Amino acid sequence: MSSNEQQDVKNLTRRKVLTAATGVVGAAGATFLAVPFVSSWQPSEKAKAAGAPVEADLSQMQPGQMLTVSWRGKPVWIVKRTSRMLELLPTLNANLRDPQSESSDQPAYCKNTFRSTKEEYLVVIGICTHLGCAPLYRPAEKSADMGDDWKGGFFCPCHGSTYDLAGRVFQGVPAPKNLEIPPYRYLSDSVIRIGEDPEEGVA
Amino acid sequence: MKRFFSILTLLIALPGVVFASGGHQPELEKANNSLADKDSLQRGAVLFSNYCMACHSVKYMRYNRIARDIGWDDDTVVAKMSKGTARVVDNVETRMMPGVGQQVLGKTPPDLSLMARLRGTDYIYSFLRGFELDETTGEWDNKLLQGTSMPHVLENMQRHFKPEDYVQSTRDIANFLEYVGEPAKLQRYDLGWKVLAFLFLLIILTYLLKKEYWRDVKH
Amino acid sequence: MQTQENKPQNSLLAWIDARYPLVSTWNLHVGQYYAPKNFNFWYFFGSLALLVLVNQILTGVWLTMSFKPSAVEAFNSVEYIMRDVEWGWLIRYLHSTGASAFFIVIYLHMMRGLLYGSYKNPRELIWLIGMLLFLVLMAEAFMGYLLPWGQMSFWGAQVIISLFGAIPVIGPDLAVWIRGDFVISDATLNRFFALHVIALPLVLIILVFMHIVALHQVGSNNPDGVEIKKYKNDQGLPIDGIPFHPYYSVKDLFGTSVFLFFFAVVVFYMPEGGGYFLEKPNFEPANPLKTPDHIAPVWYFTPFYAILRAVPDKLLGVAAMGGAIAVLFAMPWLDRCKVKSIRYRGVSYKILLTMLVVSFVVLGWLGTQPATPELTKLARIFTAAYFLFFIILPFTSVSERTKPVPERVS
Repeated sequence: MSSNEQQDVKNLTRRKVLTAATGVVGAAGATFLAVPFVSSWQPSEKAKAAGAPVEADLSQMQPGQMLTVSWRGKPVWIVKRTSRMLELLPTLNANLRDPQSESSDQPAYCKNTFRSTKEEYLVVIGICTHLGCAPLYRPAEKSADMGDDWKGGFFCPCHGSTYDLAGRVFQGVPAPKNLEIPPYRYLSDSVIRIGEDPEEGVA
Repeated sequence: MKRFFSILTLLIALPGVVFASGGHQPELEKANNSLADKDSLQRGAVLFSNYCMACHSVKYMRYNRIARDIGWDDDTVVAKMSKGTARVVDNVETRMMPGVGQQVLGKTPPDLSLMARLRGTDYIYSFLRGFELDETTGEWDNKLLQGTSMPHVLENMQRHFKPEDYVQSTRDIANFLEYVGEPAKLQRYDLGWKVLAFLFLLIILTYLLKKEYWRDVKH
Repeated sequence: MQTQENKPQNSLLAWIDARYPLVSTWNLHVGQYYAPKNFNFWYFFGSLALLVLVNQILTGVWLTMSFKPSAVEAFNSVEYIMRDVEWGWLIRYLHSTGASAFFIVIYLHMMRGLLYGSYKNPRELIWLIGMLLFLVLMAEAFMGYLLPWGQMSFWGAQVIISLFGAIPVIGPDLAVWIRGDFVISDATLNRFFALHVIALPLVLIILVFMHIVALHQVGSNNPDGVEIKKYKNDQGLPIDGIPFHPYYSVKDLFGTSVFLFFFAVVVFYMPEGGGYFLEKPNFEPANPLKTPDHIAPVWYFTPFYAILRAVPDKLLGVAAMGGAIAVLFAMPWLDRCKVKSIRYRGVSYKILLTMLVVSFVVLGWLGTQPATPELTKLARIFTAAYFLFFIILPFTSVSERTKPVPERVS
């Protein structure tokens, strides 16, 4: 009788171990099975191709002119800044929320006074960091709709956020961060490739 | 019960019988290619670019995918296959302008992305090797596709290469087109045995588990 | 393991159970559903069918995320799934292989019913609902096959829909109505897509639910064809029954693992199934101006297709094909033998059933072949044999020399 009971206990242990082992292996299998389903939601090769780096020719740009190119479906602005514009930029620091771009998004090589690799050219993603509207380009000083203190920059019509000509956000507006700067590199003096870092390949 | 097993066996065996008996095509030569042979795929890609892409596309393939699968980097693939005219993310299009095929050959050359799946790798291999010179007219025809509009693009190769090199080159092209037909095949083979090993383990475990529980059941 | 206790101990479970019959539903259908203890391997295919259904729904939902149901884009979008979507190839192969696996499993499941008389009193409704499931499944598979928009998709659908044109008076208009055009077109593809991904799966799920509810109402049959409910112990439980969970749940787990192994072999090493699961001509986009040299439906339709071709008259051919399916519905009434299981039935049924299975398999093979005169002759013989089963059965089954059926399962 007692040996029978011992046998039963032993069997119960065996049963528990087998159940646990099957459970663990089964759960692992289910997890592996989930991988294809989850990762199929990642951007497809087609989406990645559409998001591939784009090139722009800057040779025809006039000082003060802005060029818009589409990268990954987002507008990227290229502004050829005049020397006057560049002079004014450092004077605005006191009125800016994040003048040194400490908490903003940009590649390390653009975290500088003019937020660019070449001082002249600002390359920036034209999407307001507040709620995603497209700000308007208001390059002129004392622009009619911006008032007498305006030193040139961008104005978001949705909720009134304002940025300077380095895409840095002013204080007292709803946008939290400076405009985002995409990775880019110069292929030559006048051809720029957006979406690729200078040294390594595709960002 | 035995009878039903034999029927089951018959059911499983039938498709093989059917497959063997089907087809009215002339005998196809075996390509004897291997997708595992990366060098062959690389040579095939270059040959495809040099000899086929003047008229044909493989429009469902992207250059970067080819590069990744056959062991090139992005710059190499566009340099070798498009002479640097395409971006790595582009699909592999023909160099022929639209409409030219219709004018010159009387037919738009088909896209070859799925040719290997449609006709088989051996067909492509045999087709490439199936050009025969008609002595009376002095024109080339193909024994697999009589009256084909396709010229014998490998004619020079056939004349001047050593026979074994010519065989290898046509095999490389067929190999590349088989790869292009289903690029996932490489991953499929690679992953398959791991999944099967896992399921084998699961079979053993569930069998033991079943046996353990069924000790309760008195027969 | 508590068997009789119906009151949950856990407070969350109690909270739910006061509002929803969770525990009692579980007990009714799983925990205390008593199934005969003598199921053999034929009894795996029901749970496997459920597994394949889940696979089809899951992979199907994922395929719709990248598939474009339009004549211009459909073919390209399938190749897009095969090449550009991460793991798209695997999801697609799981679905395409799943379709064939579904029919393999279902045909074996139906075979089980024929072997052990699972369609007989009191299980006629289970059989009828099951046959309805089979019919809807065929419609589901047929419509799904059009979606990749290859040559076989197009011409297969063209042929099958033309069958409706054979119906007197309304036929031609009906065919146009189904297509929504004068040929298979974008409109057809679009509506088949809607039916394939929403309407028919819903019907399938409801029917599966009813199939199981009906089964659990009367209890499962078994290889001996005896009713386990006849002999109960002092607790009122069938002596020869065991609770579905854990005994059959662990057994089905084993069956599932074995099935998945074979399924994976196909998915990873032969997804084209030798040209039967994915037909070669379907790797060419649909071309309404050029019929492929040889068109055949997918293998699971070929037995019925062979019957269609065997009859040298369009209307009668369609009627014969429809009849070949319809006559299966009548099985519970055509078979008048009281003994359920083939184990205790007379020689006549064994011979007849063998004849049915052989004709079905041979017709299936013939349906994949071009209709040469010799093969057509062969198809006629086996079509006759197929129907002969149903014609003779009502007569032989009344006076069958059966063996004594045991009182309890052996």
